[in-house]
Amino acid sequence: MTGLLRELVELTDYHRDRCPPYDRVLRALDVPRGLPGAGLEDLPWLPVRMFKTHELRSIPDSDVFKVLTSSGTTGSGASRIYLDRDAAGAQTKRLGASLRAVLGPKRLPMLLVDTIGIITNRREFSARGAGVLGMATFGRAHTYLLDEHDEPDIAALKDFLAKHGDQPFLIFGFTFLVWQYLYEVAREHSLDLSNGILIHSGGWKKLADRAVDNAEFRARFAADTGLTRIHNYYGMIEQIGTVYLEGPSGDGLYCPDFADVIIRDPLTFEPQPIGEPGVIEVLSTLPRSYPGHALLTEDLGVLHGIDDGDWPGKRFSVLGRLPRAEARGCSDTFTTRGTAA
Amino acid sequence: MRQLFPAPAETTAERVVAELSGENPLRFGDERVIDFLGKLARRLLAPDTARAYPELAALGFFLRPGELRKVLDTAPAPDGGYRFPRGLCFHVPPANVDTMFVYSWALSALAGNPNIVRVSPRVSGAGAVLLDALAEIADSAEPAVASTQRMVSYPRDPAATGAFSAACELRVLWGGDRAINELREHRLAPNARDLTFPDRASFAVISLAGWQAASAAERRAAVEAFYADAYWFDQAACASPRAVYWIGAGEMAEARDEFNALLAEIVALRGYALEPAMAVEQRVAGYGLAADGRVRGLDFGAGVATVDLADPADPPRQWLAAGTFAHTALSNLTELAGLVRRTDQTLIQFGCTEDELAEFVAAAAGKGIDRIVPFGSALRFDPIWDGYDLLREFSRLVTVRAR
Repeated sequence: MTGLLRELVELTDYHRDRCPPYDRVLRALDVPRGLPGAGLEDLPWLPVRMFKTHELRSIPDSDVFKVLTSSGTTGSGASRIYLDRDAAGAQTKRLGASLRAVLGPKRLPMLLVDTIGIITNRREFSARGAGVLGMATFGRAHTYLLDEHDEPDIAALKDFLAKHGDQPFLIFGFTFLVWQYLYEVAREHSLDLSNGILIHSGGWKKLADRAVDNAEFRARFAADTGLTRIHNYYGMIEQIGTVYLEGPSGDGLYCPDFADVIIRDPLTFEPQPIGEPGVIEVLSTLPRSYPGHALLTEDLGVLHGIDDGDWPGKRFSVLGRLPRAEARGCSDTFTTRGTAA
Repeated sequence: MRQLFPAPAETTAERVVAELSGENPLRFGDERVIDFLGKLARRLLAPDTARAYPELAALGFFLRPGELRKVLDTAPAPDGGYRFPRGLCFHVPPANVDTMFVYSWALSALAGNPNIVRVSPRVSGAGAVLLDALAEIADSAEPAVASTQRMVSYPRDPAATGAFSAACELRVLWGGDRAINELREHRLAPNARDLTFPDRASFAVISLAGWQAASAAERRAAVEAFYADAYWFDQAACASPRAVYWIGAGEMAEARDEFNALLAEIVALRGYALEPAMAVEQRVAGYGLAADGRVRGLDFGAGVATVDLADPADPPRQWLAAGTFAHTALSNLTELAGLVRRTDQTLIQFGCTEDELAEFVAAAAGKGIDRIVPFGSALRFDPIWDGYDLLREFSRLVTVRAR
């Protein structure tokens, strides 16, 4: 049994002991304690949406240090993720360790492809804001590329590059913002980003209608701005602190050593072989304050290979969102989509 | 605002109301309406359409002149009295049951009413085919029909909904509770009223004795009929069964396993394609019930998710996911009568005797369940719906006593 499997098996019982609703689900599924003979793919998983419909936590009320919420775009409410002090510390630590693999040990000057409003406007604190805030800890000399009107601040960008552009610097942002604002502006003004290390996330959907996919994104950045150190990443608030980082050559996303990924058949949920798309399950030993160590996401992905790329382990891609199930019932109403009256 | 019937055109609420405010040329049970609906029926029963959309074939069957006359026979004028159209009716059908707007509208037209039907802008599939069929026959409609019937589609527009509400004598609202509450904020005229069809829940009952007495072929036919009831609208119509009650004194496990095996076989045979998102939905729903402590066991087969309910008195009434059934057992139907609520609508049954059903209805005493039908008839529209005799609702009586 690998260390990861042993830890995840232990974690399953750990959460069963502390989170009664979780234990009730596993009992209904007839999952035995200790999971004798189980492999990684046999571990019981929860649909990630359970964190929107149920309060699932493995810590008492008095230990709750932070509640993370993410409003989905699906209208079914927000996920609520409960962290105690240890969990909050551990997630930052693990995230830092994962990022150091590509950023090196020192904090780098940081260009954020966003507006400062995304973290200062507490009233509309969003998942995007949480992402920016979480990542900002890993840089210094923060410069926000967008002004309060979401327009690129060219002067600030030029100023940042004049000060820090001749040594490694960190760029962070959501994929479509990075493309729409950083790439287009840098190309237009012939800016040199060759010392940059770009960390980005958020998916390709908004870029699909511009016919920009990952390969195109990387090639154009390299050709027009000199930026070649690009790492897409995949992660979610329900497994905060666990990021699946893209390898240096862009050959797929990789799991940190305390996590794993399984692609499952979207109907039978059996594990898919390499090359077959399916629903992404994410496994991580990080969630200890809530039973989020094995989650079935609502994202589609595909496994490209194991131990055959930039880094050891599995490499995979995210293909997009699972379309939302829509029922054709009588109670499907005009109002639920805001067109009543 | 888009007018879809009689002629496609841009229009306004004021214009629609003005056009329908003149003298009503229709009578209760008007032959011109029967004739027009008969033309629609023929279109819907055309082999290509009927094959592609069985729900349209069912609607076509319902709209045939012979069937409509049978419905009319159920609402005769009272002795010494007269039955007349109620007046302008405004229908807001559910957004996603493609064919429902026609049942509601057709019966109201049969009663001789001018009608405004608000068709969902999201109409697709069978609903779109239906609108095409209506458009094709619109030209040949008698002026008395074309001039009194309007189907319109518009996005959120409180002014338009308000105008239609103020002008109508009867407002027919289908949909979720929230939608209905929101729509009812628009004031009606003092003499007008609402006929509402809000969220409902429906169940299946299977008599264990009836099941055991049935032949293998009868059992299979029963499950095929159940399949149609449950899967037709992704189990989300008000009349779609969600919980399955096994009724009897003996051990249910064997019968239930046989039922589930047959259902899985039929789901596979019919090529019902569970979408990946729906497979996830089944898990979210089943796991959610389990987390809430309402479940003893869960089983997920191909296209059929089975929930072993912990407490028969606590069935899921909300939609779970297509192909998700909460099974439980009770020793007799009278126990079920104690559990039903006003919001419970249809009981589909297999194997119960007439006496058992009569006993159940007497025990439930109208506090829930409006309709009991055999397996296979859950979605078959009936002119008595949610306990309302629709033709009577759509008409008014004038009584005469000379002395």
